[in-house]
Amino acid sequence: MSYIVIEGLHKKYDETTVLSNIAMTIEKGQFITLLGPSGCGKSTILRIVAGLTDATAGSIQIEGKNMKGIEPKERQVGMVFQSYALFPNMTVKENIAFGLRMQKVNNAEIEERVQEMLAIVHLTEKSNAYPKELSGGQQQRVALARALIVRPKVLLLDEPLSALDAQIRKKLQADLRAIQRQLEMTMILVTHDQDEAMAVSDKIFVMNNGEIAQSGTPTTIYTHPKSEFIASFIGHYNVFPRQTLETMIGMQLPGHHLKFAIRPEAVHIDKQDGDYCLSGVAIQSLMTGNIIRTTFKSDCVFAMEQLHQREQTLEIGKRYTCYVAKEDVIALL
Amino acid sequence: MKKRSFAQIIFLLLISYLLIPIVATMLYAFSSKWHKTIFPEGLTFKWLATLFQDTDFIQAFGRSVLLAGGAVIIALIVIVPAIFVIVLYFPKYEKWIQVAVVMVYSFPGIILAVGLIRVYSTVGVPMILVVLGAYVIGILPYIYQGTRNSLRNVDARQLLDAAQLLGATKTQAFTNILLPTVYPGLFAGALLSFSVLFGEFVLINLVVGSRFETVQIYLMKKLSTSGHIASAVVFIYLVLMGLLTFAIAIVTKRSKGVMKI
Repeated sequence: MSYIVIEGLHKKYDETTVLSNIAMTIEKGQFITLLGPSGCGKSTILRIVAGLTDATAGSIQIEGKNMKGIEPKERQVGMVFQSYALFPNMTVKENIAFGLRMQKVNNAEIEERVQEMLAIVHLTEKSNAYPKELSGGQQQRVALARALIVRPKVLLLDEPLSALDAQIRKKLQADLRAIQRQLEMTMILVTHDQDEAMAVSDKIFVMNNGEIAQSGTPTTIYTHPKSEFIASFIGHYNVFPRQTLETMIGMQLPGHHLKFAIRPEAVHIDKQDGDYCLSGVAIQSLMTGNIIRTTFKSDCVFAMEQLHQREQTLEIGKRYTCYVAKEDVIALL
Repeated sequence: MKKRSFAQIIFLLLISYLLIPIVATMLYAFSSKWHKTIFPEGLTFKWLATLFQDTDFIQAFGRSVLLAGGAVIIALIVIVPAIFVIVLYFPKYEKWIQVAVVMVYSFPGIILAVGLIRVYSTVGVPMILVVLGAYVIGILPYIYQGTRNSLRNVDARQLLDAAQLLGATKTQAFTNILLPTVYPGLFAGALLSFSVLFGEFVLINLVVGSRFETVQIYLMKKLSTSGHIASAVVFIYLVLMGLLTFAIAIVTKRSKGVMKI
């Protein structure tokens, strides 16, 4: 049996359905991400798992034990909040030790475990500082240490990095993944940042309108999006109606699917045998560091992404023929 | 430049208009004689000494402290937990507290006094307790604002959730985390309430009168017998209010430190 099993989870606030028929299985030691736009219900799932919100229907089992009616403090579930939720009246050390004090662990063990945790999150020198004296990144690391020290069965992370700037966020993503692997802890991360989800997860559940739209490994989700929503949300795919794409490539596509998606980086200028060809006028070119994103206008607008190389710079207003491999044309549901 | 001077003159005039009566009253409390001169003819501590030797004043002062302090303590015990529960768990009912707050502001003291006398004078409840009850409700706006703002500034609900997930009971989370965190706002609200109630005259005078002589009623009586003693009472009152204002300023400054988090 899986480590965490969520079955038939529903949540309604008055007449508004927030979650509908959520089912998930999570294995021990996995890093899971709930990915979706704001308001899709992903944070509500975390709150229900933590016992902070009641589900309207459905069940949650952790290590085979049904969590119905079990108080948050009895669930052995840790949580890191977006706003850190550090106790402002306590120092870093006191914040981290709080959970152990509640468990009435003796002082010597508390001291030892707090020092160990401070070392893991690289905050030993800040142990006597108050939260308001720390940067956002440091506060988030304290929140992480405070949640980890009680050795929860599962750690819930509710958009913990979204308030931080890009550079610190990337560093903390790597730290988070390293700590998760070091402690072999089961973690569930909620985020609306697809890059973050791809970078840290073993498995991603993409959510939309209170339902799971698709689940799988980051590679599966990215390379085989099931629907137009996933294709647009995950990878800025080019999405074509069947008829438009058939007109553009000048041949019939197999199957009966109504829409098809093509990753922008799968579109290229050099022809290879068996490729479909797409013709269009270059109308815009955006350089984002090492990637150039060129937009073409044809029967519909599509984009191509290439590595930034001088000899491949395209001229705006000029017509180009682009190519895409047959296996990179993905049929959507 | 001219504009600036004009503004400065207006400002000086305004400050003088506000301060002269206060300064004059305070000087009068220390003047041995001040009848036909611009400034006092001599200074003395006689009036203050007389005041502190007057057991009526000491008792009136004690009653004022007891009444105002008692009302604040009752409000802290009864109203604060209610505000905590409503703000944290039933925010949709908060509008009813806001209605109550507005009603407290909108009822003139005289109407309130007449209403209290008509309703309670015949039911056998001691009228001083009726005034105490009215005081508790009267300071609802100060206690509510202080508590609610402190709770919102620190995202109290999330602190409570975090503490509970770390193994704390609701009571432990309340006493170990929330109370120390919102204490500055709460303390400022309590001090403000105390200073407002300490100076209250209309309700206590109309409902209870000289049967329970507070500092304000004592002051009213002294106004007709000795201007110097009355000024000395005002001086003591102003010193007390000054100390309370200073304490509120310090506490509020501290609470701003908490808000940054």
